[in-house]
Amino acid sequence: MASSKAPVTIGFLYSRTGVTSVIEVAQRQGALLAVQEINAEGGLLGEELRVADSNPQSNPHLFKSEAARLLDDGVDALFGCYMSSTRKAVLPEVEARQSLLFYPTLYEGFEYVEGCIYSGAAPNQNARMLADYLVETYEPRYFFVGSNYIFPYESNRIMRDLLSNRGAEVVDEVYIPLSSTREEIDRVIDRIRAAGPVTVFSNVVGQGAVDFYRAYDAAGFDRTVRPIASLTFGEPESLAAGLDASVGNVKAAPYFSVLRTPANARFVAAYRALFGPDQPISAEVEAAYIQVRMFAEAVRRVDGTSRRDLLKALPTFSFEAPQGPVRVDAVNHHTYLWPRVGLVDGKGEFEVVRETSAPEAPEPYLVEHDDPVSFAKAKGGGR
Amino acid sequence: MARIRLKDLRSLSVAVVHPPDANGQTILDQLGRIGCRTDHIWPPEKGLASKVDVVFAGVFFDSQEQMKAMLRRAEKPAPAIIAVIDYENPAMLELVLELGAVAVTSKPVRSFGIMTNMVVARDCQQRQIDLQQKMAKLEKKLAGQKIIAKAKSILMEMHGFSEAAAFETIRKQAMSKRTSIEDMAQAIINANELLSGKPVDV
Repeated sequence: MASSKAPVTIGFLYSRTGVTSVIEVAQRQGALLAVQEINAEGGLLGEELRVADSNPQSNPHLFKSEAARLLDDGVDALFGCYMSSTRKAVLPEVEARQSLLFYPTLYEGFEYVEGCIYSGAAPNQNARMLADYLVETYEPRYFFVGSNYIFPYESNRIMRDLLSNRGAEVVDEVYIPLSSTREEIDRVIDRIRAAGPVTVFSNVVGQGAVDFYRAYDAAGFDRTVRPIASLTFGEPESLAAGLDASVGNVKAAPYFSVLRTPANARFVAAYRALFGPDQPISAEVEAAYIQVRMFAEAVRRVDGTSRRDLLKALPTFSFEAPQGPVRVDAVNHHTYLWPRVGLVDGKGEFEVVRETSAPEAPEPYLVEHDDPVSFAKAKGGGR
Repeated sequence: MARIRLKDLRSLSVAVVHPPDANGQTILDQLGRIGCRTDHIWPPEKGLASKVDVVFAGVFFDSQEQMKAMLRRAEKPAPAIIAVIDYENPAMLELVLELGAVAVTSKPVRSFGIMTNMVVARDCQQRQIDLQQKMAKLEKKLAGQKIIAKAKSILMEMHGFSEAAAFETIRKQAMSKRTSIEDMAQAIINANELLSGKPVDV
């Protein structure tokens, strides 16, 4: 039975060119897989779920204008954005039209916009476990490097607090432009060398990250004792950087493609059947996938696409995601996720070296990441 | 009750130090509607024109140092700084505090709120300036009291004066020399140092 509200159309904001295209292309594929599965199951509200596409080219101005175009064309919700600068550009358009943005990327926290559903990790869902793992495993001296925009600054600030609470020291902190040159990366490598034995925490994103990881490898630092740790350098970036540059590095994320859950086995098989057997899948890709599935579930439950109804329905169910059961928090619109730490093994695969036993509640405004209240909550395994 | 005089607002000289994008334009347009004298500056320059009353300062990680340098060189009395921000992260709020902002406008900027922010920021800045002036006066006064106490004790010791008589002596001397009591007290201390040949800490 077709509903008068059908067909449902979702708008994609994933860059296929520009500095963050590697990860955004993969995120788009994750979202497309979900659309294909939903349509194979009979679509939404009795009709095929449709996609309105765009290529905002990793550029905030284009994200804003493409979001406006898609919304004016009547899409029921937007999906996408990788860098915070692109999300910030899109959200005023979303709010002005009382629509929705599903944001599938980890970010720096400290935001709540009513029409935004955040399904990447908030800092309490990745950085804290990473800090624990790092101080127990590697050099107690840290070198921070990041791209020159909000996420790296805030992420480094948070990690500095976490490490300092654990008795570790940050010896230097440097930033490079999003489109970085060989010389800029070489200068960072020189400073790392000059800093003596350090573990690197990198918030460099996009192509710059691939170049930086390769340069770090070429410089010959022993990654069994001084790896690069990050919240962002996952399976697609590792593939782009190559095996040699990837082995021994650390990432904290709620999802790795090696997870042995039945839901993940199905997800990985379906993804690779659709996009190719060697396609890398990372947490950001899984989040892009589960967001479309959760949106579809909410649309079915409310039999429509009204923003108010969807926002009410989304927190009322748990979704069996590849990472484990997840759900949207009714108060802050972020998502309960499964913190994990992964280490790249000799074959270039992430090996999960630490994981939580229960989904962790999102805390986007958790200013003190290690105050007694947070500790108690972490010990209780989420709330 | 505090009164807002629009004429005061219109006579303000405002600098908008922000990239020429939609947010910067919204601020400039609204200032135009209010009728302020407005300069648009981007990127931050080496110095600020004299007698700027209010600065709308766009806060960005990559231009923070230039912005800080520019505002540091502003003439006294310092302008009221309104930070224009797009993130509410502690990392960015640290930059806001570093600039000494007394008000904040968040992006996307709406024309509503610009005037309120200017009025509150100016008032806040004026109170700070008044307090600073008051504090400087009090500090001076306090230092004067210490000097007078010291001079009194010198006179009491040398001439066996009572405290009241010592003060009266200093006061009369100051009157006849047409100088302040503090200056006279300082002269007594200096003379005593000279005669006793040892420096006396005040």
